[in-house]
Amino acid sequence: MSTGARTNWLRELIRKPYFWGVVAIFALLALNVLKDPNYLALSVNPVNGNLVGNVVDILRASAPILMIAVGMSLVIATGGIDLSVGSVMAVSGAVAMVFMKDAGQSGSLGVALGAIGLALLVSAVLGAINGVLVAYIGLQPFISTLIMMLAGRGIAKVITEGQNTSATNDPFRWIANGFVVGLPVVFLLAIVIVIIVGLVVRRSALGLMIEAIGINPKASRMAGIKPSGLLLTVYILSAVLAGIAGIMSVGTVMTVDVSRTGYQMELDAILAVVIGGTSLAGGKFSIGGAVVGALLIATLDKTIVFLGISSSATPAFKAIVIVVLCLLQSERVRSWFSQRRKPPRPTSAPTSVPPTQQKQEVTA
Amino acid sequence: MSVQRRFAKFLGLAAVGAISIGLAACSSGGDTGSDADSGELTTVGFVAVGPEGAWREANETNVQDTFTKEAGFDLKYAPATNLDQKSQIDAFTSFVDEGVDVILLSATEASGWEDSLERAQEAEIPVILLDRGIEPDDTSLYVTRIAPDNVEVAKEVGAWAVEQFPDGGNYITLEGPAGVGVVNERNEGWNESVEGSDLVQVAAQTANWSAEEGKSVTETLLKANGNDIQLIFAQNDEMGLGAAQAVEEAGLEPGVDVKIATIDGTMAAMEALADGQLSYVHEYNPLFGETALDVVNKTLDGETVESYIIVPSEAFDSAEAAQAVLADRKY
Repeated sequence: MSTGARTNWLRELIRKPYFWGVVAIFALLALNVLKDPNYLALSVNPVNGNLVGNVVDILRASAPILMIAVGMSLVIATGGIDLSVGSVMAVSGAVAMVFMKDAGQSGSLGVALGAIGLALLVSAVLGAINGVLVAYIGLQPFISTLIMMLAGRGIAKVITEGQNTSATNDPFRWIANGFVVGLPVVFLLAIVIVIIVGLVVRRSALGLMIEAIGINPKASRMAGIKPSGLLLTVYILSAVLAGIAGIMSVGTVMTVDVSRTGYQMELDAILAVVIGGTSLAGGKFSIGGAVVGALLIATLDKTIVFLGISSSATPAFKAIVIVVLCLLQSERVRSWFSQRRKPPRPTSAPTSVPPTQQKQEVTA
Repeated sequence: MSVQRRFAKFLGLAAVGAISIGLAACSSGGDTGSDADSGELTTVGFVAVGPEGAWREANETNVQDTFTKEAGFDLKYAPATNLDQKSQIDAFTSFVDEGVDVILLSATEASGWEDSLERAQEAEIPVILLDRGIEPDDTSLYVTRIAPDNVEVAKEVGAWAVEQFPDGGNYITLEGPAGVGVVNERNEGWNESVEGSDLVQVAAQTANWSAEEGKSVTETLLKANGNDIQLIFAQNDEMGLGAAQAVEEAGLEPGVDVKIATIDGTMAAMEALADGQLSYVHEYNPLFGETALDVVNKTLDGETVESYIIVPSEAFDSAEAAQAVLADRKY
């Protein structure tokens, strides 16, 4: 009996869409450990008591991806897509940097909060434009956010007058580089935000309604869900999360690089969502999956540098990892392998298969 | 009703057609004017790189400020979208079709320009390369290349490094995006100087010219080598500035434990050099608008110029040297 229960539990786990994402993270970490046995070692910086280690770096690098991946998974759940997140990151970073620079490098907490507030406000406005175009004008999400993706980077260039802009402000810098009880602030912040978003969508009917719109917009409307307001909310949320990601991203070096900040991050976000098992067709979404996906991408980026893979081979290495992962996730590919191993199908119904054989099937 | 609507649509189309024909006529009219040299403006198409960093900003502003209407030029500035070569080729082609008098080209990537340059040649439009060269370097396809010499600059950085570390040491290289001409040239110059010395390259990674990536890559490379790195060669200022922050966060002191050398010499890098964050900055002089203007005039007058014009650049190896020029630094 107990073995049967265990195989069921194992089978449940393997069925989870993000299971292979977790496996891939561990595989990449193992690869790094092979190169350097001390890869996973954490030490405490004697000066300030902060944790130091490669894993800490990965967590820090994953924070901006986490933000946009969570926003993206909600947008994708409605059957849409948000290509503008990378550009919104650049706009948010540009607004924050220019604001702090114009505030005269005072470095006070008030200036930092003002910069953050203004950056998030501008992001929200950009998100609202996306939302209005999609929900009220009825444009395709792909097109409306593509417009914003192109326009956003232009807006960032206008804000900074085309220059990479730096500023100094210690409280702002602390968000991206600081530590609380030994852990990086930026990661803690990201996790808190993810948990809040997760609770809000899963503890209320909001998540269900978002999924309903994605699964069947007509049926959901007939069931009494008004899609317009929800769509608008989702796009605003996605842009605000991208704005937070932008602040985290420019905060690490206190410079906004208008052509590089957030560049192609929308693809990372979509990838993270897909790795997490959310279908691009919309409908069911998994925030936990998006978290796994974001962590995987951060791990992959850091692994490439750690292993010293040459710059020209980097995209190929990344692609191979992702392709293998997607193949492993695919039901069809997995069924090819399991069918090959199975003996010729007996004529009786599969329910009559004795438990021992069931176990064999899994462990084989 | 529907007939009426269709008719309106047709009218609209016809209007658009008429306008575009009118515009085409306008532009061709402008061209004949300038060809006849009747005191009209010379049109210059500038296929530029666009926002990339402070260096590029200084360079392109300088060019734009030189080719003014007062100087007798109508400069058409076409920056690439997100450093994409495709958008540059498109801009280049449309300049050829428009029939501008001269094209200035700062290529984002070295290869893949032959077809476009041949088209310009057929249209008898002289092309002048600014800053970045092309590969394969076929000098028959363009008039001249005006640039500070990357190989020479990187060679000097390498020579400084060898002199600083007579007993050798470990170093990492932060490169620009793979495949870009500048990256190859800066590597070439550096390797020429460093070869045969006791300096050991433990890693070379791209950080895409960006401070953020420079920091992230350095942070990981320091850990991968147990902080046993004495020198960082950053191929531009931004990456070097990012690396300095990573070095500090790893508990090392930039300039003492790890020396950082960068190329470009932007304001931010000069400040960091004066601060001791960076140890060596080699300028890569962006202010060559005047030289370009001179070459354009000579070319239009039918004179021949050298196929490669080197813009002189300075090196700064101490805080004092940086301090001295900080006050009147233009970029």
